[in-house]
Amino acid sequence: MTDIDFKSFKAQPLDYKNQRNQRLYRLLFGWMTVLLILPVLIILVLLTAKGAPALSWEFFTADPINGMTEGGIFPCLIGTIWIVAVALFASVPLGVACAVYLSEYAPDNTLTRLINLAIINLAGVPSIVHALFGVGAFVMFFDLGTSILAAGLTLAVMTMPVVIVSTRESLQAVPQAFREACWSLGATRSQTIRKVVIPNSVTGILTGVILEVSRTVGETAPIMFTGAALFLPFVPDNFFERLSSQTMAMSLHLFTVSTQVPNVPEELPFGVALVLIGMVLVLNSVSIAFRMYLRGQKKW
Amino acid sequence: MGSLRTCDRTEDTLKGGPRQIHKVLKKADMKAMKLPLLATLAVAATLTSCGGSVNGSSRTILQNKGSDTLVNVAQAWAEEYSKVNPSCAIAVTGGGSGTGISAMINGTVDIANSSRSMKDKEMTMARENGVEPVEFTVGFDALAVYVHKDNPIESITIEQLAMIYGEGGEVEKWSQLGIQMPEGASDEIVRVSRQNNSGTYAYFREAVLGKTGNYKLGSLDMHGSKDVVDLVEKTPSAIGYSGLAYATDHLKLVPVSSGGGAPVEPTVETAIDRTYPIARPLLMYTSGQPTGATKEYMDWILSDVGQQIILKKGYAPVRDL
Repeated sequence: MTDIDFKSFKAQPLDYKNQRNQRLYRLLFGWMTVLLILPVLIILVLLTAKGAPALSWEFFTADPINGMTEGGIFPCLIGTIWIVAVALFASVPLGVACAVYLSEYAPDNTLTRLINLAIINLAGVPSIVHALFGVGAFVMFFDLGTSILAAGLTLAVMTMPVVIVSTRESLQAVPQAFREACWSLGATRSQTIRKVVIPNSVTGILTGVILEVSRTVGETAPIMFTGAALFLPFVPDNFFERLSSQTMAMSLHLFTVSTQVPNVPEELPFGVALVLIGMVLVLNSVSIAFRMYLRGQKKW
Repeated sequence: MGSLRTCDRTEDTLKGGPRQIHKVLKKADMKAMKLPLLATLAVAATLTSCGGSVNGSSRTILQNKGSDTLVNVAQAWAEEYSKVNPSCAIAVTGGGSGTGISAMINGTVDIANSSRSMKDKEMTMARENGVEPVEFTVGFDALAVYVHKDNPIESITIEQLAMIYGEGGEVEKWSQLGIQMPEGASDEIVRVSRQNNSGTYAYFREAVLGKTGNYKLGSLDMHGSKDVVDLVEKTPSAIGYSGLAYATDHLKLVPVSSGGGAPVEPTVETAIDRTYPIARPLLMYTSGQPTGATKEYMDWILSDVGQQIILKKGYAPVRDL
């Protein structure tokens, strides 16, 4: 048995100082994280507490009645779904095609860089500017009138950069070796893209799409002037008539009941907000779950 | 994704030649495409099912846009009218009188709501676009002036209002009007006004500040009558104005006098008999003399049933009912 010289293991003043700093910084950054999460939690708790009394089966299936102070939000839900659907069908094919070109075909030259710059700038344009663009381009120039089609297309233009950027990134995440292997087997560039690159990046593309959807659901400004009505409980049956008619939408309805309509029971705007945020949360959770599922299938 | 196997199977495919490559690639591709396809189908199914659950065949949709003062009445009319005439739906949008009028000029609405008359310049612009706006007076609105509940003010004259709101007006403090503010409230007058495309803003300027008058800088310009009401309710030293229909029990409505007359309370009655000095007509514009569904709707609005609704909403009807 030898006595261990514990003294040599004893912490020196410098160690104490480092330990103290360590604890301090852990605490500091820990609290910063908490501070970040706190608003989300407060919003959710507040909305749930104040909005839950408004929720009922009727709230989802009935028209707003009595000066929009009672009844449900059915036409707003349908309207939002339609606008989002139009935006998706317009922006996803175009956005994915654009991303494929930029990632797989475009040479690295000034033009490509300019295009990239334009996309980034487009993503930074405030939504109200997109709204004015939508009024000028779709409502007036293409003469679509204030309609679901015009609103959806405006949102499509607005969210296209999101789709392009996320698609391009997920395309570039596919290892170059996959492409090279495919080419070496004699496959053409377009075969490689269709059979190897896109199937392997579907996860990322879908993430972008769902991100787009959840952003589209909440946008108010771009649809305010291009297609959303403050009050229109009626939704036409005919497909084309519906596309060319105005519609109520969740986000604008929330704005309306909280700023325009007098004598609204307090829980109504909170209920609408809760449903809106619920839609976004559900969409995001589905996207995350879906992505995890797809990731699990991958071997690299 | 299954497509990965394309790479694992390089050896087999090499043996099988180009045809084989194609087959393997195809297989992988189909698996990869299944999920998005399902998602598309789901979306399509949702949309179709929505279509099925809404009844009613082809209806006329009238576009009605404009004044925030009128928007709640317009909404009430639209709601009632869909019961009276199910073959016609009215799409109501707010945004302010200016929004409605410019939509009328651009020909994107059937009916524009406004709480002020169209200016000559706007009329000319409309005519240049081939639109001939026709004006209908659908009701009257007393423009209520209100203060916080604790403010001791008894009445106010138009001249005093002009000195508070108008450019060059000297009144900045309540004490200048001889009003002793209660403990805790600031003596400084907080002027609450509206954004400049509001019809209420335009009418108040015309009626209080005169044709050439301008607003003093430094007022709080709110985007809607309800915001003005909310702010004045919460601010002890504030003064604000809006259509009478927006006033709540938590405000003090100030009787207004003009030309040395007796102060008049803003009520529906005083708006009808025009004794209240700042009552204004509420207007709707159609493009040309209305025909068809627009005419039916305008006729219904001006009928007793339609006028009862505007009365219920706190505005004065165009005639005694």
